[in-house]
Amino acid sequence: MAVLEEPIKEVLELKNYVNGEWVQSKSKKVLDVINPATQKVLAKAPMSTKEEVTQAIEAAQAAYPEWRRTTPLARVRCLFRLKEMMENNFEMLSRVQTMEHGKTIDESRGETRRGIEMVEVATGIPSLMMGYNLEDIASGIDEYVIYQPLGVFTHIAPFNFPFMVPLWYSPFALATGNTFVVKPSPRDPISQAKLAEMFDEAGFPPGVYNVVHGDADAAQVLMEHPAVKGVTFVGSTAVGRQVFKTCGAYYKRSVVQASAKNFLVVMPDADIPATMAALMTSFYGNTGQRCLSGANLVVCGGGDAFYSKVRDEFLTAAGKIKVGYGLDESVQMGPMQSQDGVERVKKYIEIGLKEGADLVMDGRKVTISGDYPAKYFLNPSVFDKVTPDMTVAREEIFGPVANIIRTKDLDETIKMINKSNYGNAAAIFTSSGPAAREFQYRVECGNIGVNIGIVAPMAFFPFSGMKDSFYGVLHGQGRDAIRFFCESKVAIQRWF
Amino acid sequence: MSETITTCSLAISFAKELENESAKFYTALADQSGQDKEVLLSFAKKNKEFVTQVERAYYGVISDAFEGCFAFNMNPEDYKLDTELAAQADYAGALKKALANEEAIVRFYQVAAEQSKSLMADVPRAFKLVARKRDERQSVLKSLLEKQA
Repeated sequence: MAVLEEPIKEVLELKNYVNGEWVQSKSKKVLDVINPATQKVLAKAPMSTKEEVTQAIEAAQAAYPEWRRTTPLARVRCLFRLKEMMENNFEMLSRVQTMEHGKTIDESRGETRRGIEMVEVATGIPSLMMGYNLEDIASGIDEYVIYQPLGVFTHIAPFNFPFMVPLWYSPFALATGNTFVVKPSPRDPISQAKLAEMFDEAGFPPGVYNVVHGDADAAQVLMEHPAVKGVTFVGSTAVGRQVFKTCGAYYKRSVVQASAKNFLVVMPDADIPATMAALMTSFYGNTGQRCLSGANLVVCGGGDAFYSKVRDEFLTAAGKIKVGYGLDESVQMGPMQSQDGVERVKKYIEIGLKEGADLVMDGRKVTISGDYPAKYFLNPSVFDKVTPDMTVAREEIFGPVANIIRTKDLDETIKMINKSNYGNAAAIFTSSGPAAREFQYRVECGNIGVNIGIVAPMAFFPFSGMKDSFYGVLHGQGRDAIRFFCESKVAIQRWF
Repeated sequence: MSETITTCSLAISFAKELENESAKFYTALADQSGQDKEVLLSFAKKNKEFVTQVERAYYGVISDAFEGCFAFNMNPEDYKLDTELAAQADYAGALKKALANEEAIVRFYQVAAEQSKSLMADVPRAFKLVARKRDERQSVLKSLLEKQA
């Protein structure tokens, strides 16, 4: 068994990074960060006090005027240095994510790469932040739009992509001249702490980038403080609604990316072998703990034989998935990140059974590769004969559970997808251009895949989302992020 | 490595293992035989470049949407190299071994490229490229062997 070396050798005492200094929290509330595969304690994370979070915001506020005056070129040079450090520490950062979250090393490396790509795109800010103008809006009068930064932005991070998600925002915020405060998820904050060391070395002036460890109380301060101009959040819809409401109540802009229930549709003309591997990644990658995960597998049309073929091949592929510690390179699915997650999945499996779905693969019976405590592990589960009205087909399970739903044609499928409260992602597997086009045109989801299992937009495109999967106007990443972090100032000039 | 190659990470690690073993073999053969030293050492050097090429493709394109965990199903035993060099090994015999090893490595890259072709970005392309370059190496080895006849 090829288990890679663990980069964390002893229990880390995490500190806040505020105003360019590493600050020990005075909070008595300290949480253990646990490796979900081995159950070993990796770090102690303080749940910072309201005063400490306020200090971080005030440091960011104080740093803003000078940072805003720093030229875009000088700002992105800090990002170039940051990128270099991230590349140099690529493997360490990836293995830390596997240790703190549980995901496989391939998945962690993918997360690291995505994070770096955000920084790369943000280094283009001298071009991306350019405004626009028009001469002679009236004779001798010119009008300009200038994009200007606003001040302090904050980020409340989720546990499922502990390294990458804060980077959906921070490089764009900083490159546009804003300052930033990140609150990592208290469940897996170590990779953010490691990243903060690189921000420190990259030469960002004190206060421009800050990290405070904390829980919901800290998040509340990050939303309510008057110096905060905007809040970015990724998490559940239930919490996201609160964040969106709070930001509205305090007159702040926000990006709120929330829960999902994604449909993956297999058409009779799909390339089945290629589709199966894509489906495995989608349903069971990151142990199903991602807002782009497949949740409902829709077998559309094709008769009984096609339905059986897709179901049987899906079951065969899912049954072969090797579950274990993500630092074992042969492992394809890691543990759940937390006990809460395990309990949630088990609860939904019970609900599915009660509502009459057919549990054809029960992931509660755990088989693990290697000698690890079974506590946070689940194997893939599959429900067959699921109908769209069932709870398991409607609510986000956020774990390795697939529901197989049968539909008669594409029209019925699209109507079913559009009835969902969520609208994060949907994908179709087909070799038909017209079917793919129809799907893309009509489905009410922010991210559409054609023969793609995980519809994860690249750094230079917005990470979209609709309905209860997204609250806000502008999305994270790409041009949307730049617009979100800037105000459009209009100047009209006439010279007498 | 004995377990089934299931993930991209493992495929890359296995490729690295093959290249390192093969490089060691060529270096030892060049030292031991004293013949065709330049060619054999250039092979060993090139092996390191192949590792870089494959790793660069993997680390450069891997993303969170990567289907790397489910793209492979290969038995490493099918690509086992014989890199033992007896103290008094005859040079022609060693070249035959080198050829057999090259065939195994090329086969590995070809199968890996085929299995991952519809799932990943540039990794299968890098595998194919290395397989092609190794094909060229086989003709060089054959001509060295012919010289021995």
